[in-house]
Amino acid sequence: MATQSKTPLKKDEPSFERHGLTDERLVAMWRIMVTHRTLESRGFALNRQGKIPFASAGEGHEAVQAGAAMAFERGKDVLVPYYRDVGLALGAGLTPYEVLLSLFGRAEDHSGGRQFPHHYASRRLGIQTISSVIAAQLPHAVGTAYAMRYRGERERAVLTTFGDGCTSEGEWHESLNFAAVHRLPVVFLCENNEWAISTPLTRQMAQPDVYIRAAGYGIDGAAVDGMDPIACYAAVKRGLERARSGEGPALVEAKCYRFLSHTTDDDDRTYRSREEVEARRKDDPVPGFERTLIANGVISAEAAEALKRSVLEEINAATDRAESMPYPLPQDLFDRVYADGWQPWRS
Amino acid sequence: MAKTDTKTASLDRHGLSDDQLREILRNMLLQRQLDNRGFQLNRQGKVPFALGSEGHEALQAGAAMAFHRGRDVLAPYYRDLGLAVGIGLSPYEIMLSIFARAEDHNGGRQFPNHYSSKRAGLMSFSSILAAHIPHAVGAAYALKYRGESDRAVLCTCGDGTTSEGEWHESMNFAAIHKLPFVMLVENNQWAISTPLSKQMAQPEIWKRAAGYGMPGRRFNGFDPLETYDAVNEAMDRARSGGGPSLIEGTCYRYLAHSTDDNDMTYRTREEVREERKNDPVPRFEAILIEHGVMSAQDVEAMRKDVLRETNEATDAAEAMPYPQAADLYTHVYEGAWQPWQ
Repeated sequence: MATQSKTPLKKDEPSFERHGLTDERLVAMWRIMVTHRTLESRGFALNRQGKIPFASAGEGHEAVQAGAAMAFERGKDVLVPYYRDVGLALGAGLTPYEVLLSLFGRAEDHSGGRQFPHHYASRRLGIQTISSVIAAQLPHAVGTAYAMRYRGERERAVLTTFGDGCTSEGEWHESLNFAAVHRLPVVFLCENNEWAISTPLTRQMAQPDVYIRAAGYGIDGAAVDGMDPIACYAAVKRGLERARSGEGPALVEAKCYRFLSHTTDDDDRTYRSREEVEARRKDDPVPGFERTLIANGVISAEAAEALKRSVLEEINAATDRAESMPYPLPQDLFDRVYADGWQPWRS
Repeated sequence: MAKTDTKTASLDRHGLSDDQLREILRNMLLQRQLDNRGFQLNRQGKVPFALGSEGHEALQAGAAMAFHRGRDVLAPYYRDLGLAVGIGLSPYEIMLSIFARAEDHNGGRQFPNHYSSKRAGLMSFSSILAAHIPHAVGAAYALKYRGESDRAVLCTCGDGTTSEGEWHESMNFAAIHKLPFVMLVENNQWAISTPLSKQMAQPEIWKRAAGYGMPGRRFNGFDPLETYDAVNEAMDRARSGGGPSLIEGTCYRYLAHSTDDNDMTYRTREEVREERKNDPVPRFEAILIEHGVMSAQDVEAMRKDVLRETNEATDAAEAMPYPQAADLYTHVYEGAWQPWQ
């Protein structure tokens, strides 16, 4: 059941497994990864400039999220992510402008500037609103999958994501068991980056492989190289296809790494060494996949540079536009809290 | 469920003496008798409620035999009547609990069949499934923190409880910290009206052990000696610093969940009748007789003695007074503080 694929290919490999993805889709996947990386860096920069209160850090997650997003079917599937899933949201159709509206807390934001930064939502794209509370999203994800099954909706599935820390929560367990008993169309994707804020994996669980818990629940389980976007695409695609066709849930564990601190409010120098982080940088999926694509003739070095410039321009324009938008007004505080604009303190 | 052949040539007694084998049977008979007495008293209108543990006698007597009195800690659930008497609670103490008398260890304030005993090392517990498991793991953490060796916590639960979030969190915590903790699941195939097939997608709970990174084992919960071996192995591992284990004993719940449940609304008499063929009490009687540990007369005498003991305990407990209304706030606040005054 476990599939452990290799780290990104060496420069002189003659061919590589693309799992049916065209050149265009491979480049699109890499563009998501580059956009994810650039947008997250922009979030940190804006925070350090005092322009936004907070940003979370998904550096190291670009491959798993771009790969998973490529397997997600827009308009049909539902995404129930956690707060580190910028890349997944972008891959599902959210724009950098929409993400920045969330970071800047503007009124135009999908949640009216009321949600925590990086806690996006989009009804249009099927992205459920995010809570900061770890594992809170899993019963919701499973409930959504239950609704699909209850209504007899075929060819639809739920993709829900979480980190390694989440797997210790009670709701994680209850959700996997419930999904298993009812054979629900849901894929549980663990983005195991080895750190839950300051808790290392060795203090999170007594054995390091999340995916082997699948057997205890009686569901499909697999591990995948989270730094390889194509392998992640293949694993999530397989899980979603099986889920959509009524074969029940799956647990996919993508092994990656968190290069930065948890968020702009965290200083990882207080709990891990620079040597450890630097040693893992060699697996960085963004330059890694760039090398793979160039080596295999999918994109030229020049086109790659042009793509990166294009992404930066897009994000610069989105930043300026979002920054220029107004904040929500105090008198709108109770908009969309009660039905029909009811304000209960008024008689 | 596999029916163990009683006509075996030799008996694997796992190091237990004849006296210990007889003690196991007596515990099983006492559990069956006390359990039945609870139902009788409820149908007579004398006690408000009782839980049924028929089917669990071998599992609980075998586990009790592996418990080290005065050292280990027991964190049971509400169906563990046999384990409670097995580790040293008297029938009188059980009856005081069912009758909710003032003399009860919890002053008649706990739900019936929810006993506790500081003396015996039996932690007070809630009706809420899995609520006791973080507490049990915490007790094990205290043992480790204090550097106490040769002591462990034996925690029990049913199949239904294994679906609870607290079960998962506790197992993971015990594993990370390599605590002196044993999780004994008494899988009787039913969680009130929820059958195992609707509780989980694969029926072997012990298989979850690998996911937590701890040893797991499954055994026949209708066999008290196999039970003893499994619990003893796990408790020894825990006591000697080898960390936690998940062990699963399979049995069957012959009665309804409690005196407030009618199991005929969700399962057939035929199913129950079929499972009765594995009833551990007559099965173990037959084994002891067959291997010359007891004669049929000895067994009969033991049954009579158990009935006598149960009757005496019933009468003695019934004669005791209820708690007084004026004592409602005793043992609630420290000292005699009554905050509304």
